[in-house]
Amino acid sequence: MGPFNTPWLTFVPWIVAFGCVVFSIVWAIWIFKP
Amino acid sequence: MSEPFVYSLVLLAYLGALVLVGFITGRRTKSVEDFYIGGRQIGPWVTALSFVAAYFSSVVIIGGGGFGYMFGMSTLWIGAINVLLGCTVAWIVLGPRIRTFTQRLKTMTVPGFIGERFQSDFACIFSALIIVLFMIIYNVSILKGMGHIFEVLMNIPYVYGVLISCIIILFYVSIGGYLAVVWTSFIQAWVMGIGLIVLTVFTLHRVGGITAANSALASIDPGLLHTPGVWGWPGLLSFALIVSFGVWGMPQLVVRFYSIKNLSVLKIGTVVATVGTCMALLPYFNGAIARTLFPSLASPDLAIPTLVKTILSPFGAAIVLAGVVAAGMSTFSSVLIILSSSMVQDLIKKGIKRDIVKEKSLFWGKIGSIVIGFISLVIALRPPALVLTLTAFAWAVIASTTLWPILFGIYWKGATRLGCIASMVGGCVTALFWMLAGKPFGVHGFIPGIIVGFLLMVLVSRATPKFPAEHISRVWG
Repeated sequence: MGPFNTPWLTFVPWIVAFGCVVFSIVWAIWIFKP
Repeated sequence: MSEPFVYSLVLLAYLGALVLVGFITGRRTKSVEDFYIGGRQIGPWVTALSFVAAYFSSVVIIGGGGFGYMFGMSTLWIGAINVLLGCTVAWIVLGPRIRTFTQRLKTMTVPGFIGERFQSDFACIFSALIIVLFMIIYNVSILKGMGHIFEVLMNIPYVYGVLISCIIILFYVSIGGYLAVVWTSFIQAWVMGIGLIVLTVFTLHRVGGITAANSALASIDPGLLHTPGVWGWPGLLSFALIVSFGVWGMPQLVVRFYSIKNLSVLKIGTVVATVGTCMALLPYFNGAIARTLFPSLASPDLAIPTLVKTILSPFGAAIVLAGVVAAGMSTFSSVLIILSSSMVQDLIKKGIKRDIVKEKSLFWGKIGSIVIGFISLVIALRPPALVLTLTAFAWAVIASTTLWPILFGIYWKGATRLGCIASMVGGCVTALFWMLAGKPFGVHGFIPGIIVGFLLMVLVSRATPKFPAEHISRVWG
């Protein structure tokens, strides 16, 4: 069980959404070059 | 203050703001390029949040709540894949190239880009026809959804709900064009986001927190808490794919990359759009919790309206109601401007070879949006059964037609004219017949549509003559 008594597989979507926000910031600052 | 009075006050303030935006943007819309793509001068916040607002219609909020209610917390995967594939990866993979290539080829529409990139009037006209036909159906379904919301939440008769929504949208779109669409969508994204957050906070408060909600769900049926749970992976993932990867072929969303000011701005837009799209998880989450509060609703689609009516104050309910209406209006207006451009720029200019003098282009663009808006309105007032059936097809057929020509068009120099035509026709026909056959194996028609489209694009392009080097260097710069 993950946080708040949520099964891990059901908690993954929240991690994915948060991961996307972090990745988009990393991409915008360090990866993408016009 | 009485409930109907508060509802009307909040809605009137919101609708008044939209009309004001129509007037302001109308004074800045001077050319046909302004009318269709905002003169390619739109900033990051407006581009990103108007992308989010065009992505999610009221159907996502009400229907997403219904899915959550029916299938439980595993539907959060749909929201997460929306964020990952439908937004972040789409902005990174499509954004920079579409912005650069469409400016280089001087195209304002998706069919226009496909026609120029593949040097084919047929590809341009075929994709414009599919877009016009199925986007009108999509728009009717959005309008219908808004009529039902007015009916369920405000007891306003369906016909009046449809009329109010459509006439206000037609007003600001025909005056302010794309600028009005993105600025009203920008406001609408905030209204949607605030509405969904307010609803989530109060719902969690009512149920006693996430842990309590999870325990209550598991006691009804453990499948409502576990993944893939009640729905199963094939249905869950194929649905998540159509509403996420399908975005890559949806002209009302792809056009956001045409209109953004420059590539530096696009970086900021990617982050803002990703944060905004995260609201996609909330309807499913609230719908699942609604199952613990009201286990025996007549229809799953009543989950969100019932939550709104029972746990929010009249003012809170009015904010959420405005958010749901905003979701529908922003998507409808974004599609309307695409319909006008496909009709006037692609079908009339390219299809029936009627040249429109430059000074008259803006006028005909406005007329096009009004005519198509009225057609949508008339159909929505009494939708025939065929239109309702075809609504489920719209995304699958459009995305199967346009997705690969767009993606291969900006990434593969070896994609040929015949490869593009085979991919479009093959993908479109496959998706259409798969849906007509009643979705064999429970798989959405989008999946076979894009598989066939992909194979035809690659195989036919490898077997047919390549474009000359000068055309490729004109496209790639």
